[in-house]
Amino acid sequence: MGRLLIALGLLASLPVAAHDFDFSADLRLVGASGQTSWLNGGLGKLRFDEDHDGLRLGQLRFAYRGNPTETLRFTAEAFAYGDDDVNAVDLTEIFLSWRPVPQSLWRSEVKLGAFYAPISLENRMRGWRSPYSLNFSAINSWVGEELRTIGLEYNLDWLGQQQGSPFNVGFTAAAYGWNDPAGIIVAMRGWAVHDRQTTLFGKVGQPGQGVIDGRTLFYDDIDGKVGYYAGLTATWRGVLEFRALRYDNHGDPTAEAPAIDDYAWHTVFDSYGLRWTPGDQWTVIAQVLTGNTAAGDVPPPNYWRFDSWFVLGSWQRGKHRLTLRYDDFSMRQLVSHFPGYNRDNGQAVTAAWLLQINDRWSAVIEGLRIDSELAARRRLGAPVAAEEQQWQLALRYDL
Amino acid sequence: MACTILLGPARAVVAAELSVTVRDNAGRPFAGAVVVAEPLTRAPPAAAPLKAEMDQRNLQFVPNLLVIRTGTSVSFPNSDQVWHQVYSFSGAKTFQLSLYAGRAHRPVVFDKPGLVTLGCNIHDGMIGYIYVTDSPWHGLTDQNGQFRFAHLPAGNYTVKVWHQRFNDPVVSLGLDVTATEGTPVTAAFQLKRNLKPALHSHGTEKKWEDY
Repeated sequence: MGRLLIALGLLASLPVAAHDFDFSADLRLVGASGQTSWLNGGLGKLRFDEDHDGLRLGQLRFAYRGNPTETLRFTAEAFAYGDDDVNAVDLTEIFLSWRPVPQSLWRSEVKLGAFYAPISLENRMRGWRSPYSLNFSAINSWVGEELRTIGLEYNLDWLGQQQGSPFNVGFTAAAYGWNDPAGIIVAMRGWAVHDRQTTLFGKVGQPGQGVIDGRTLFYDDIDGKVGYYAGLTATWRGVLEFRALRYDNHGDPTAEAPAIDDYAWHTVFDSYGLRWTPGDQWTVIAQVLTGNTAAGDVPPPNYWRFDSWFVLGSWQRGKHRLTLRYDDFSMRQLVSHFPGYNRDNGQAVTAAWLLQINDRWSAVIEGLRIDSELAARRRLGAPVAAEEQQWQLALRYDL
Repeated sequence: MACTILLGPARAVVAAELSVTVRDNAGRPFAGAVVVAEPLTRAPPAAAPLKAEMDQRNLQFVPNLLVIRTGTSVSFPNSDQVWHQVYSFSGAKTFQLSLYAGRAHRPVVFDKPGLVTLGCNIHDGMIGYIYVTDSPWHGLTDQNGQFRFAHLPAGNYTVKVWHQRFNDPVVSLGLDVTATEGTPVTAAFQLKRNLKPALHSHGTEKKWEDY
């Protein structure tokens, strides 16, 4: 990782054709009820909880984009969340992308570094933020927690719209490492709904009674194996966008890293998503993710299945945007070498009103309710079932 | 699609009025279609250097269709806050404008007739069209699906209409041309096939990006 950063740093110091520094700030007034947040040592599914609400830092974001050459682009995104992570400010993405100007209907693109796999149709703002709501769907909250491609991605696009076809089609394939713990959070805590992206050199939450909280250096490589994903994106007229992706981190469930007391998790999932933008006002997004994860050195390894889907409807007119999202999620453990089988089941409803005050300032009022039953809560002496609610008023600034 | 018409008696100095209407296959007027009257004899040279502009605003080419005469220099300002990288690999003009904002590049001269499709390598949803013709007589249909050539020198012309949404092949169109002394000549084009669906670009937010 260090070598990668040095290489990226050197490239970033080359003469640059175009620069773009970017800064965002997001301050919140939060009211939360429910169990102690998974980020604070509990197994609640919200980012905030009763002991951690009131005036809170949503995020500070620092970003840089520059082009060392005409077709080479360097992107770095860093966040501060104000919740005692290892580093006050830390990277969430840092990568180089090379996208030559098309000479025909086929165009290649190569990405190298740490970045997001093309899974979300919701997180389409710079910094992998959502333009539709403060919180992400359960699926994309999990993607932000556990998944980062640290490796190489190749994209091949067919630009059919250039020759009068209503379709553009893209194929993607990637090879990556440093993602062996992926799966542990969804297996131990189940699903959650929030906007807290795990940083590249940070940890997941604060130490507490939970299982995954306080983990440091989340993006680890334990087994030395290379994972892959492959996917397809198709857009029709710019009105419909479809995405499918098969992800397999190729983890060796028996590989163990005693220093951090953990195994490599073998996580496999399929993700399908559809975004429909029939006009300038409406957006509808639906996404499904279904997968499994396995870990443990005694065969057969501990094994969990996890599934989630959501539907989001958003309406925009002038300065206003209204969004409603319904999330459904489940996780169940099918093989366990520990006493008890973990299990998670629940639904979440998010309603958000975004007001774009002017070019730089915006305000958001958002309500979120999650009903869930998570078996692991028994071990904390907490009720398995939880009704959790969170209100947020955000004031945001974008440079 | 194309048709050949004869405008009145072949007296070289006489100018005629030609009115062209374009309707879709449901009979509705089609606005924004390219109309070109190509003389069968050589067209006169342009009187002055020809200039045109295609802006980039809200991640769209504005206008997204230009009809210009061969030799016209077209400027491509970028009015967005994000960079664009305009390119074309069309046979009539292959070029690229390196990443830019504002008015960083010199105008591009379109020196061959034909259709040029433009794209932006940063924003795949941006598509623009430049129809380049040797004829000085060209325009776009209005809201009534109509374009009027007020002073077309008498002679033989091939009249062509084009739009990126047309599915119809170049020939085989319903056509009704009547020429009467002293009254405007009219040419009516009616499409036979359904229009291709329009492409939409919704990326109007400066902070949006492909993930």
